[in-house]
Amino acid sequence: MTPTTSPDTHLPSQQLHAFIDGELSSSDTQAVQQHLESCHSCGLRVISAMQLKAATARAAQRFTASPETLARLTAYLHTQSTEQKQPTPIRPRTFHMLPVWSAIAAMIVLTASFVFWNQNHQTNTLTAELLDQHLATLSSGAAPQVISTDRHTVKPWFQGRLPFSFNLPEPGALPPDTTLQGADLVYLKNRPAALLLFTIHKHQVSVFLTQKSELFTLNPKTTHSGFNVHSATTPELNLTAVSDVNPAELDALVASLVKVQ
Amino acid sequence: MNFTRTIEALGTMPSFNTDATLQSAASFEQLALPLLPSLYSHAFWLSRNHAEAEDLVQETISKSLRAFDTFEPGTNFKAWAFRILRNTFLTSRTGIAATNTIFLEDHPELIETTDAGLTPEDHLLSLSDQAAVHDALDKLQAPLREVLLLCDVEELKYKEIAMVLNVPIGTVMSRISRARRALHQLLQPQLRKSL
Repeated sequence: MTPTTSPDTHLPSQQLHAFIDGELSSSDTQAVQQHLESCHSCGLRVISAMQLKAATARAAQRFTASPETLARLTAYLHTQSTEQKQPTPIRPRTFHMLPVWSAIAAMIVLTASFVFWNQNHQTNTLTAELLDQHLATLSSGAAPQVISTDRHTVKPWFQGRLPFSFNLPEPGALPPDTTLQGADLVYLKNRPAALLLFTIHKHQVSVFLTQKSELFTLNPKTTHSGFNVHSATTPELNLTAVSDVNPAELDALVASLVKVQ
Repeated sequence: MNFTRTIEALGTMPSFNTDATLQSAASFEQLALPLLPSLYSHAFWLSRNHAEAEDLVQETISKSLRAFDTFEPGTNFKAWAFRILRNTFLTSRTGIAATNTIFLEDHPELIETTDAGLTPEDHLLSLSDQAAVHDALDKLQAPLREVLLLCDVEELKYKEIAMVLNVPIGTVMSRISRARRALHQLLQPQLRKSL
């Protein structure tokens, strides 16, 4: 696809969607990014389309198989595969034990698959929720509840609002060209979380702090819809940063926050 | 990957028990197991019925297993399995009824190059109401919803979606664009309410 990147012409819809779906070549992606730097209108369209994509992913997950259904399907898959695998000519002497072993194997597969499904499902939903919150901070135009670069203003604001506390590093302990911009109280999986807003150069970074729980445990480094999602834990907290800044700089910010907890 | 050949081959596959088959069945199970939740969810979106969704997934498992030796290693197993699921649905009673509904196919000339008439602020949606998004998704025409589910939920690449739907990649692109615009329009009342 040849991009239309003239500053006077807005991005065609198909090109815009191919961009957010990561379907453009690197040169086309670069051309679109250049256009976005100078076109506020297309920038908003991109953010809106990404929000819609994230919302679609979350809404569509409503129809999930119940654990019982999943167990039946797993057992069916196992039975079918076993039948295909079963050598017909030789019958083992322990044939009478076969149903028992099959049942044990099926139980193991069932349990493993359910645990895998459950973890994977939770992880995907949380990542989508975090990305949605991050996109909301980029797009809403609404100021966060606390606008301050001073950690002595930001941290006390959360007192009484969160069931946990956290520390913020001195400005000098943050990575180069990284600034605290403000904070907000948000809810993730119906639990309160601190949203800290930083900028690294011109990139916005959302850092979510929650009380440590398996609910908020993510892979240390993932990408979702072109955003880097880096996660870390401390003895008391789960900490997740979302941004389009390069992964090394995001890592440095996460490390500086972990260090002061 | 020749899906058509794969699907046509179903039902004529001989049953045999060799070492290769043993290995093949084991790796099939390994590949298919993590896909069960996705296959079920997609089957439900297609059929709108829990029992039918479960039947569709079971039939997909059987067909895929029988045709597994036609699957090319290194290609996307998920896209391959979704293709079989979709064909299974299309030959089901519900699927046949659904295909009788005429869908205005993709006409590039009818597709706007930009979303004219909307201000940049109109593009910003308050999408916090999950139920509203879900309802809007529900109201989309089936082919538009299907392409969005494959792209946004299953995270398949355009090329893979084209294989699943058996349409050219250009059609996938135009459908995705139309689907998102339609979804956006369906959510406009929600936006007005939130302002």
